[in-house]
Amino acid sequence: MREITLSQAVNEAIAEEMRRDPTVFLMGEDVAEAGTPFKVLSGLVEEFGTERVIDTPISEPGFVGLAVGAAMTGARPVVDLMFGDFLYLVMDQLCNQAAKQHYMSGGKLTVPMVLRTNLGATRRSAAQHSQSLQALVAHIPGLKIAMPSSAYEAKGLMKTAIRDNNPVVIFEDKLMYQDKAPVPEEEYLIPFGEAHIKREGSDITLIATSSMVQVAGKAAEMLAAEGIEAEVIDPRTIVPLDEKTLLDSVRKTSRAIVIDEGHQSYGVTAEIASRLNEKAFYHLDAPVLRMGAMDVPVPFSPALEDLTVPTPESVVENARRLCAGELIHAA
Amino acid sequence: MYRQMVRIRTFEDNANQLYLSAKMPGLTHMYSGEEAVAVGICEALTDDDRITSTHRGHGHCVAKGAEFKAMFCELLGKAEGYCRGKGGSMHIADQSHGNLGANAIVGGSMGIATGSALRAKLLGHDDVTVCFFGDGATAQGLWYEVMNMAALWKLPVIYACENNGYSEYTKTEEIAAGSITARAEAFGIEAHKVDGQDVLAVNELTQKLVARARKGEGPFFIELETYRYHGHHVGDINRAYYRSKDEEKDWKDNRDPIVRFRGWLVSEGIASEEEIEAMNAEIETDASEAVAYAEKAAYPPAHEVDMHVYAD
Amino acid sequence: MPHDVTMPQLGMAQDAGRIVAWLKAPGEAVAKGDALFEVETDKATMEVEAQTGGYLTGISANEGDDVPVGAVIARISETAEDEAGTPAAASAPEPEPEPEPEAGAALPEGKAVTMPQLGMAQDSGLLVGWLKTPGEAADDLLFEVETDKSTMEVPAGLDGYLAATLAEAGEEVPVGQAVAVISAEKPEAPLSRSAKNAGARPAQGAVPEPAAASAPKTKDPAPEKARAPQAAPPGGRILASPKARRLALEQGLDLGRLAEAGHPQPFHVADLEALRALPDPAAAPATSASASSRRLTATVASDGLPGFVAWAAEAHGLKDADAILAGFAGASLNPGGAATVAIERPGARRAFTVPPGRALSAVAETGDAPALVLRDLRGTALSGVEMGAEEAPVLTLTHAGGGLTITLECAASGLDAAGAIRLLTDFAGRMEQPLRHLL
Repeated sequence: MREITLSQAVNEAIAEEMRRDPTVFLMGEDVAEAGTPFKVLSGLVEEFGTERVIDTPISEPGFVGLAVGAAMTGARPVVDLMFGDFLYLVMDQLCNQAAKQHYMSGGKLTVPMVLRTNLGATRRSAAQHSQSLQALVAHIPGLKIAMPSSAYEAKGLMKTAIRDNNPVVIFEDKLMYQDKAPVPEEEYLIPFGEAHIKREGSDITLIATSSMVQVAGKAAEMLAAEGIEAEVIDPRTIVPLDEKTLLDSVRKTSRAIVIDEGHQSYGVTAEIASRLNEKAFYHLDAPVLRMGAMDVPVPFSPALEDLTVPTPESVVENARRLCAGELIHAA
Repeated sequence: MYRQMVRIRTFEDNANQLYLSAKMPGLTHMYSGEEAVAVGICEALTDDDRITSTHRGHGHCVAKGAEFKAMFCELLGKAEGYCRGKGGSMHIADQSHGNLGANAIVGGSMGIATGSALRAKLLGHDDVTVCFFGDGATAQGLWYEVMNMAALWKLPVIYACENNGYSEYTKTEEIAAGSITARAEAFGIEAHKVDGQDVLAVNELTQKLVARARKGEGPFFIELETYRYHGHHVGDINRAYYRSKDEEKDWKDNRDPIVRFRGWLVSEGIASEEEIEAMNAEIETDASEAVAYAEKAAYPPAHEVDMHVYAD
Repeated sequence: MPHDVTMPQLGMAQDAGRIVAWLKAPGEAVAKGDALFEVETDKATMEVEAQTGGYLTGISANEGDDVPVGAVIARISETAEDEAGTPAAASAPEPEPEPEPEAGAALPEGKAVTMPQLGMAQDSGLLVGWLKTPGEAADDLLFEVETDKSTMEVPAGLDGYLAATLAEAGEEVPVGQAVAVISAEKPEAPLSRSAKNAGARPAQGAVPEPAAASAPKTKDPAPEKARAPQAAPPGGRILASPKARRLALEQGLDLGRLAEAGHPQPFHVADLEALRALPDPAAAPATSASASSRRLTATVASDGLPGFVAWAAEAHGLKDADAILAGFAGASLNPGGAATVAIERPGARRAFTVPPGRALSAVAETGDAPALVLRDLRGTALSGVEMGAEEAPVLTLTHAGGGLTITLECAASGLDAAGAIRLLTDFAGRMEQPLRHLL
């Protein structure tokens, strides 16, 4: 099978959907000739023209608002938000308007839009360009949240997102754009709400999102050398969340670590860990652990920045201790 | 047009009563006094044309063709309301007539209106979108962002600023520096000012601008000078501290849009006093029946609480 | 149609207003928009306008009154006279009131039938099924109960009609809790209830019940079915993972033993292996029995029975020595009442019913289960016994020199201390001087 980069996968997905459905269009800062600073969207304006690939001024609330209105009246916008950190700017349009229109209108209005943005630190971009804010939007009823962990996921989830009639926020890890993975030539979609077991194991479950899937995968290899077989699961979408796959795994292994690049406190890991606790309590032989980014704004200095995110080594350390019956944050 | 104005006034009187008699949950915002704005503009639009509304949205809703029954049901949170009781007064929307909804966030629907216009241009539709907002919303950054884009891309949207002199409890001149029309003009948007209590003037202007917008000459901006008789919301009853009773009386006695238009219709021989009285009475009955119906109507069943969070 | 005039909602937090003054008089004509009355709010005094034209009638609130928002205080009618009837109370449209939770129906009068104590260690019974339906005559057998040994049919024990069943088939009911009400007359409204609603007593003449009113345990965690109670660990809490606890419970393992053995906590699933490897606790039924059983011994200098038996055979034709022995034992156990006594010798057992009174001739063999066992080991070499409690109290006779040792053993619940002492004393007395029995 051919291997393409995550960037190419996203590009293909959007291009295919724009060919398939004339109401799909792209808007955002520098999306046209520049193809965004990450060059993910290069080539699209050549094929679809400036009518459908629209460069906007630097008005995040404005153009997200426009996307909401266009979506409410029959178009299917894909909005590019250059950095996930800018989510704060668009919260009213996204969370007060887009997320709620369907409900507030008693089901009569829909907002079929996709907000494409990114997450991930360790790029030396400092505190305001390195945040992973999926927890912020996952909390809001009415939004769906997808987190592709490779080129394969990126293409399949993007196509599903564009065809979904709800507002969807997709987070891509900005450090993964050049990472390659096998991606079929034939069309495929990845449904929302279906987790994927990346590696099977019976001693401990590692649930990881986005680039943390790679971290968990490496940790699993290292643990195997010590005789601990880890099961690695990628939820793919955190809203809707495939609880069943996660619970089945925990019932099998009786131990779990949830890894996400949002901050350690009050995040995605807390929600998933809590559900495992509630629903698989009597199958747990160890407390469910959360591993997120440190609760600090992302520092600039490389010496400091790399300390703030989960690494394969830190995952291995925690897994090893859990399997040995240690309480990691003993009370 | 007269009928529509009277319908709005009657609706608001009834809604106010529902609030005062503690039958209506929550708060609402009365449009009484501003009827000519909504009616003058909406009478120049078709059902395909869209509008976005504000928290003071009953007037726009009625003017764009909504039915009393479904409106009262929505205000009371009943299942037969326009939004199945889930939106209430501040989020009332009526798809079938192109009303994209009232919005509780000041300026919250400016992006939506402009987006609707973007869609029209993109998909080659010829409908126009009118964005209603108040003088208070001119303080919201979003307006400047969307006006910029509307002007850049020549979108078929008309921004209609209902300047009633007050932003909640504060005079407009204390919250808006400079000129409101100049703000639109700064983006190269053609701006007009009109007496919002003169329904004929409003309508005539709107018709011209809508026709031009359909041809791609948009966007446009209209500032309409008007007045709201009631307080900011129905509970804002003791308001002498920010607005004098004399001023209120002056607008009511001397500049009421309904009285004015009625006088004109009679003097032009278009309708007689008797016909007008009869119409008024008919509308009153219509409204009372709708209120009674809504009061008796059923609430949405409990299982609907988590429906419509997501579309299928 | 008269229009209600109500106290308006004047502020968001306001729920009442004070009427300062009426501006129109009763019966006066009013036009729509006229000021009707003045209301004082916490901020200012306001005038309230008439919403319609007509005549002001039916004023029901006066100057100075505090009136709740929404209450009707007057009407505007078509004529100056009060319309008939009091003004309709203005009421906010209410959502469908929740249907009242069903109040428990009152129980019919009658006597209660309770879940019987069916075994010494049993504290609840599973009601398998009803053999009569409510309303039927309660003769014969009423319901079936499953114990850990078998299924038993329970009679009402009273004459009358089954007026109410207070537990459903399949429910576990604590011993002593009422399961049915028997009424003297045929009930008009017999009812059936579930044991979960237990708590109400029948209206009259309930058999006094021990205080077991709690519903059967329903709170076990969902997947768990095992109910083996664990012995409380000595000295405080055991730390163990949820899975370890669950597996221990399911497999009948006692984490307390692991704690006692000093195994480091918290326990995980892997530690259950260590628990399984622990030696069995020493079997000491006697020691555990001794905490809950009784053993008394008596010695008599001479065994009077053989002489008495000989005399009885000759003088009264009573040839069955065992029957006489049973009669002595039965009379000692239950003076004035009947008893079933079994006489046991190595290899043979015979049971006798001993009727009330002392007539030894009336003692007859029976197949019933005995309430007292007499183990006659006089013919053996055994001189003393310590056997532990059995199902029924046991009197064991062993020779002691020329006389007898009589050992009484029973469970603490079988006989209380006074009863055990009396039984042994009376029986020993009879064995020494049998003629006493006839007195």
